Amino acid sequence: MGSLRGFVRIPWLPTPGPGWYASPDVPGGAGMRRLVSVIAGVAAATAAAAAIAEPVVSLKDPAGDDNGPGAYTYPTDAVYKPGSFDILSFDVDVKGSDVVFKVGVRSKIEDPWDSKAWQGNGFSLQFVQVYIDTDRKDGSGTCEGLPGMNVRFRSASCWEKVVLVSPQPKSRLQSEIGQKAAKMKAGVVIPTATRVDGKTLVATVKASDLGGKPAKGWGYAVPLQSNEGYPDSKEVLTRKVNEYAGQHRFGGGSDYACDPHVIDMIVAPGQGGADEVRMQHSALKYSCDDQDKPKVELPMVYP
Amino acid sequence: MRRGLLAAVTGAMALAAAPPANADIANFDLAARIYTKWLYRNNDSQGLLNLGTPHPDGDDYAGDNGVGTEFELKFFGRVSKYVQGYARIQSRFGELWQDWWESGNRWYDGETNTSGESGGMNHASYIKLRGTFVRAAIPIPTIDWVTIGSSDLGMFNPWSIGKVRYIDRDNAKGIFLDGHVGDGIFSYNLAVIALPKLYVGPYWSTGLTDPNLPNPFWSADWAYGAKFTVAPSFGTFTLVSTLTNDVEIDRSDPDAVGSLYPDCTDDLGNPIVGCAKDHAVDYFSRYMNSVTTIEAQVEPLSWMSVNAFGGFSAGLIDRKLAANGVERMAGVSPVVYKDTYDFAVRARVELSDPFDIGLSIKAEYFNIGAEWNSIFGARRESDVLLTDGFLEGGQLPTLNLANEFVDFDEPWYESCIGWHGGTLVAQYAIGGFDMSAEGTYMTYNTNAQDRDVETTYPNFLHEDGFTDTDLYDYANTTDRGRDPRSVYHLNQDRRTAIAVLNARYVFDVLGGLELSTKAKFIHDLDYRSHTTASDDYTGDLLTWRGKVGLGVAPGLLVEAGAQIDRWWEKRRDGTLKTGYGDIDTAKHRAFAGLTYEFEGLKFRYAIEFLDKDQFREPRKPDQHWLVFRSKASLEVNW
Repeated sequence: MGSLRGFVRIPWLPTPGPGWYASPDVPGGAGMRRLVSVIAGVAAATAAAAAIAEPVVSLKDPAGDDNGPGAYTYPTDAVYKPGSFDILSFDVDVKGSDVVFKVGVRSKIEDPWDSKAWQGNGFSLQFVQVYIDTDRKDGSGTCEGLPGMNVRFRSASCWEKVVLVSPQPKSRLQSEIGQKAAKMKAGVVIPTATRVDGKTLVATVKASDLGGKPAKGWGYAVPLQSNEGYPDSKEVLTRKVNEYAGQHRFGGGSDYACDPHVIDMIVAPGQGGADEVRMQHSALKYSCDDQDKPKVELPMVYP
Repeated sequence: MRRGLLAAVTGAMALAAAPPANADIANFDLAARIYTKWLYRNNDSQGLLNLGTPHPDGDDYAGDNGVGTEFELKFFGRVSKYVQGYARIQSRFGELWQDWWESGNRWYDGETNTSGESGGMNHASYIKLRGTFVRAAIPIPTIDWVTIGSSDLGMFNPWSIGKVRYIDRDNAKGIFLDGHVGDGIFSYNLAVIALPKLYVGPYWSTGLTDPNLPNPFWSADWAYGAKFTVAPSFGTFTLVSTLTNDVEIDRSDPDAVGSLYPDCTDDLGNPIVGCAKDHAVDYFSRYMNSVTTIEAQVEPLSWMSVNAFGGFSAGLIDRKLAANGVERMAGVSPVVYKDTYDFAVRARVELSDPFDIGLSIKAEYFNIGAEWNSIFGARRESDVLLTDGFLEGGQLPTLNLANEFVDFDEPWYESCIGWHGGTLVAQYAIGGFDMSAEGTYMTYNTNAQDRDVETTYPNFLHEDGFTDTDLYDYANTTDRGRDPRSVYHLNQDRRTAIAVLNARYVFDVLGGLELSTKAKFIHDLDYRSHTTASDDYTGDLLTWRGKVGLGVAPGLLVEAGAQIDRWWEKRRDGTLKTGYGDIDTAKHRAFAGLTYEFEGLKFRYAIEFLDKDQFREPRKPDQHWLVFRSKASLEVNW
């Protein structure tokens, strides 16, 4: 096998020699200075090329309402840190031909399950579904939430598009949607890029995937769930809310499918007022008369 | 058990049974997993794990060629509204498919033969109880939960009591209290944890095999932890204090087994004053490690985050009860063999896109004392510093790292004890493009001359050169560089500069076409002894990696890439007596892999080709490696 040695050696890469050693008195030396110069140059050039954002939507949500209809509790494992599912803001920007969705939460977004190891997007816990009503026509669109959310929408505010802000790679999302929500597939938008910026999830989608740039009159529902890598066979990557919290299960809900699996959401008017806590609790109030049929209808916000 | 199945089962029971159905099963959640791993390499070692335990008499299933399967079953029980139970059973991983009917009896004194009963229990896939807990919401004011049993210890921090590594996740057991006051602004976690007898102390144990202990006593060794968190609207403030306490019996007690004075007389036969049997045995602490940390996390502006961390670590060792592991184990010891006290400080500022152009900045200052140690801190799968470091996995402030029970595709961790410096990271992201650039400069609090690495400070025997984690062997028969735990040296005057550049672009093609690259440069300088310049070390490391990933179809991801390493090391290793030799290293790696997920099935495959040349002549012969290796796994959870 020794004959392969010449084959795999890269001829243009410099071979070790005295010129490559930096002066002992200058850590890094000339080689490092060159590298830093290149880094700075690339960063500056790219920043200069960035398009100016056009804010379209900017909504707020009060802190401390990450309890769904009022009684939901976080799973007991230590990775679910307080505030991880507490939405504080929701913004939509237009940058060129892209639309950027930003969802801010109360605590720093962490990656306890090392998403890069499974081709993920730099976070592990959160999963936001941004439902968009683009035509505000009665009876138009899809009136069911994605499987696992246990929610519906009023006929006057059903959705045409739903953007998945998930730590999962695109191929996994495509697979889940294809297997568990095939009839909704046309309306599902998977971002071209999803990342974390401190306490904010940032998802970029093509405007064309939304049917155009966000327009006045569009409605948004922004429920926050938790990413479940090992979901129920009929649910799209959502973590269950049970009657009692478990290590990786939310508590305070029902063991059946009558409770909305929504930990926090934006409600109108989206200004972060204390009354929006009460409105959220009211909107997510559920009964389990029919244990396996969700009845909660998520309200859209029309900014 | 999933609800659909649950409903079906309970429904069937209702139909089949004349009396009202027993609904006990509604109190259960069951989860199961079958996991199969294939591991192959062009060598002749057999087993299911690239690097097993470094203990010479440890597991007997490590090796590079084999395929095996494990099964796991988890029970979640809802005893009542306020009481939960949990248990996990799992088959032992180590039986090769080729082992066939291996029953596990070792009848032939270690010799494998064709009886089918000679492989030992590690090759018999026996089912073992891995973890249990009972959790109760006891109606005592402020208490949320009391947990009795297994925990992954994730409630503290990597500096004190760290979250245990994945393979140990249910091995830690104790009693845990979680509670809060008011609206959650003040919360607390209290724990009493059984110390693992195998690694949390001198001699890599809490007494076992210590030559100073004729009767090791480990059943009363505990760790104690307390965490108090105050979380007002403007930030989070956390105080953690922990103590590990390894106790041993007082051998001068006449009631103790192996007592030095069973008859209360001294070596000359004279009675010892105050010595009397009372059918009770006294204890002494053999080793204690206490770590206290305080951390503040505040967000003065929506785009600014400030984290300030400070800690104090103390290690107290009783030399009568703990033999000198530094001296007797060739410097391979998880503790300094003396009492130690030291501080650690870390301050981090993060500016998240302050100009709204996608540019974020992170800056960190770190200063970890030379004699800091977290004996029960995180051993892997955590990271306390911002820098990429020497090894990509992470940096942890302990000598007790666990780069073991791993395969070739898993990250490595290094000790950052003594590190003092700063890191600046700039990140830029727009659309599908993101990049980051890191610059780190540091020196070492462990810099010293004539440090006693023979009897006091562990140097882990192999202390020189960049660590080759691609081709690592515990015994270092292949010149793989320094041990990641080696922070103490006879003579050190060292400083290091690290530069890292990452860039990635995702094209919206099929399931996403991702191009990514990473370049890393390290300049490591150590003047070593101040008495001569002939031992001055200069190491330059250059790594470049490029990768292409493509979502080919729903659930199917493929990737391929290459990595090139060039290391130039002047006076890499040797001694003042024998002189130092230069070593240059060239590595080329090509890799490919795929991930396929379908209806709850997950398959992963990774293959790589690795070519390494180590140029050591004329001092030692050059070395060459040509490695093909692969790993595949198939997993289903339900």
